[in-house]
Amino acid sequence: MKAASVLLIAVIAVAGVISQAEQRVGETSFDEMSKAAERAFNEARDDDVIRLAGLALAKKPEWEEGLWYLGASLYQKQQYAEARDVLRRFMTLRPDAGPGWALLGLSEFNVREYSRALQHLQRAMSSGMGERSELTQPVFYDVAILLTRFERYDDSMDMLVRMLSNSPLDDSLTVALGLAGLRLPLLPSEVAANRRQVIQLAGSAVAAVQTARSDDATAKLKQLTTTFPNEPGVHFLYGAYLMPSDPGSGVSEMRRELEVSPSHALARVRLADQFIAEQKYDEALDLAKQAIELDPDRASAHMLAGEALLAKGDSEHGIAELEKARDRDPSSSKTHWDLLRAYVACGQREKADREKQEIEKRAAESGSNHVQE
Amino acid sequence: MKLGIARIVLLCAVSAAYAQTSARFERIAKEADAARVTERFSDAIHLYQRALHLRPSWREGWWNLASVYYEQDRFPDAKEAFTRYAALAAGKGPAEAFLGLCEYELRNYDSALAHFRSWASGGWAGTPDLLDVAVFHFALLLTRDGQFVRALYLLAPVAAKTGKDPALVEAMGLASLRMRNLPEDYPPDKREMVWLAGTAAVYLAQQPHDFARAQEFAARLASRFENERGVHYFRGTLFAFENKSAQAEREFREELRVAGADVPSLIALAKIDLERHEIAEADTFARKAVALEPQNAEAHHALGRVLMVNGQIDASALELENAKRLAPESPLVRSHLAMVYRRMGRTAEAKAEARAFLVLKQKEEVLAPARDKLKVTAGRSR
Repeated sequence: MKAASVLLIAVIAVAGVISQAEQRVGETSFDEMSKAAERAFNEARDDDVIRLAGLALAKKPEWEEGLWYLGASLYQKQQYAEARDVLRRFMTLRPDAGPGWALLGLSEFNVREYSRALQHLQRAMSSGMGERSELTQPVFYDVAILLTRFERYDDSMDMLVRMLSNSPLDDSLTVALGLAGLRLPLLPSEVAANRRQVIQLAGSAVAAVQTARSDDATAKLKQLTTTFPNEPGVHFLYGAYLMPSDPGSGVSEMRRELEVSPSHALARVRLADQFIAEQKYDEALDLAKQAIELDPDRASAHMLAGEALLAKGDSEHGIAELEKARDRDPSSSKTHWDLLRAYVACGQREKADREKQEIEKRAAESGSNHVQE
Repeated sequence: MKLGIARIVLLCAVSAAYAQTSARFERIAKEADAARVTERFSDAIHLYQRALHLRPSWREGWWNLASVYYEQDRFPDAKEAFTRYAALAAGKGPAEAFLGLCEYELRNYDSALAHFRSWASGGWAGTPDLLDVAVFHFALLLTRDGQFVRALYLLAPVAAKTGKDPALVEAMGLASLRMRNLPEDYPPDKREMVWLAGTAAVYLAQQPHDFARAQEFAARLASRFENERGVHYFRGTLFAFENKSAQAEREFREELRVAGADVPSLIALAKIDLERHEIAEADTFARKAVALEPQNAEAHHALGRVLMVNGQIDASALELENAKRLAPESPLVRSHLAMVYRRMGRTAEAKAEARAFLVLKQKEEVLAPARDKLKVTAGRSR
């Protein structure tokens, strides 16, 4: 993207914000310099902007427009560290400027300050960057790939799948999907040459699954598991795809995944889910407990343990597990429904009412009765 | 007479001006604090600057201004304000850690390391949150400085406390692979290698140790990056930690195959041989390590131990004295030196070394788990 088009859009978006700001120009020399800097900025003479805005800011360090001109021009010149420092000063003055957060986050991304980049790009998204896709798309993409790098694969995948519905599937999106799908915390730019094949294949398989191209998805997932049978994550992907239509094969793939990656908590969760559907509650409970041991904060593992325990007649411990699941992920409607049924069955009317209210509240918020895991 | 009256008039005028300035300062300082507390940071900065202009000796003002700048990631300004605070304070305390953090962010890494060292020797002052952040960055800089064991020594208790945090994984990965890099500057195509090593190290650091998962990730690391330097040595140390000396030996030898002459692997192999009383080979490894790195205390220590077992007491003493000179705070060197002196009949020196061993053993900076050390100092703040 990069510097040029992002900058142009960010500039347009921020101009409105700044024009509202009052500037009290005290000295003529500042006045002249600031106007010259503005002219240079509008004419995209970056070197002049950097010089003139720098001089004006020496006289008036809190000149908002000047900080923006300077930060944006430094970004344009790919002087990302300098742009970052100037934009940080700008954001102290204008924390409401979404495009400012965007340019700051992109600068930080370029100097490999990934944690701050993620934080600030997310802030840009929540503050708003206008409707210009030329700015929002790179920010959205960078947030998605950073989420993968910070091992928040599910959040990343959600974003990438949304991108998939709006953008053509190019190499950058394919690789990003492959990394999130294989749960590898790398940026696309960090993929070594000898690892690209497996990641691209996984990415194109995930894309085929997500766009409901079932023949293509099946072929690519088969190719993935046969070409890279010992790669962690590939059998999980195939197993998850097969589970709804061919549970037997899905279970086999998940078990194969556990041979390759013995500590794969999510494979255990999927198996437990399937075994509950098959009313094999002992096996389900065993796997859910293993998943909890491996990943105590995984809400779905607690939920499945709770469901298995309830099915086995252990209401007390079943409810306890469901409550843990709810505490860890209050957004899961399925957990609230499970709890509602469990409380009703045990005669805990007050708690049941609370769950019912919660379900209704969530349904009203989402505008539907859609229940999602 | 005229002069006397003039003096009185002047004195009154000065007193009135002072009282006025003082009242003004108090008002602005109060407004600055209110702005900071309500997170109006731009206002807070402006007000603190005004108050400090009126009263440059206001220590708390410098601290608060520095903190606001730091919170806003404005590290050049924060550094300046912390420096002003430190100049006014009797002891730098946590300001030293903040100065280290600012210098780190400004990429003045040598200066940052010096600040962290000074902070540590001054007692690790700061709140638990500051300790976590400062210790983490201190460890990153130790890795950059090639002090990988010390870096891991600091990071391991943090990992035990926080679990598998991505930043910690990266830091431990770099130290475990003995890469003299920071997270911001290592080659991007090494990312997967660093992540796998770091994940293994973080699992190993858990209490109780999660050997199964540590080995799972170490095995992935070794199979995917079998010809990369540092990989087999790291896996060897994991096996050694589990007292699996045969597997450890295999990995250390693999490291020699990949890296050629790798001094830490040679030393590790010499130690394994010592345990098995395979003295001839231990001697070869230790001598090679010393020849390759004459300034490596561990190499001299290993050779000293080999010579001691071999009955070459005088030569052993020389090697252990070399090790002591290079690493005066290593308690094990002193312990072995005490043994050698005793066998040489140098009783007084043996006793002195034994005493030094006990003192160093008790000295937390050298031996105690960093977590305990942090516990002791947690809660101390400015």
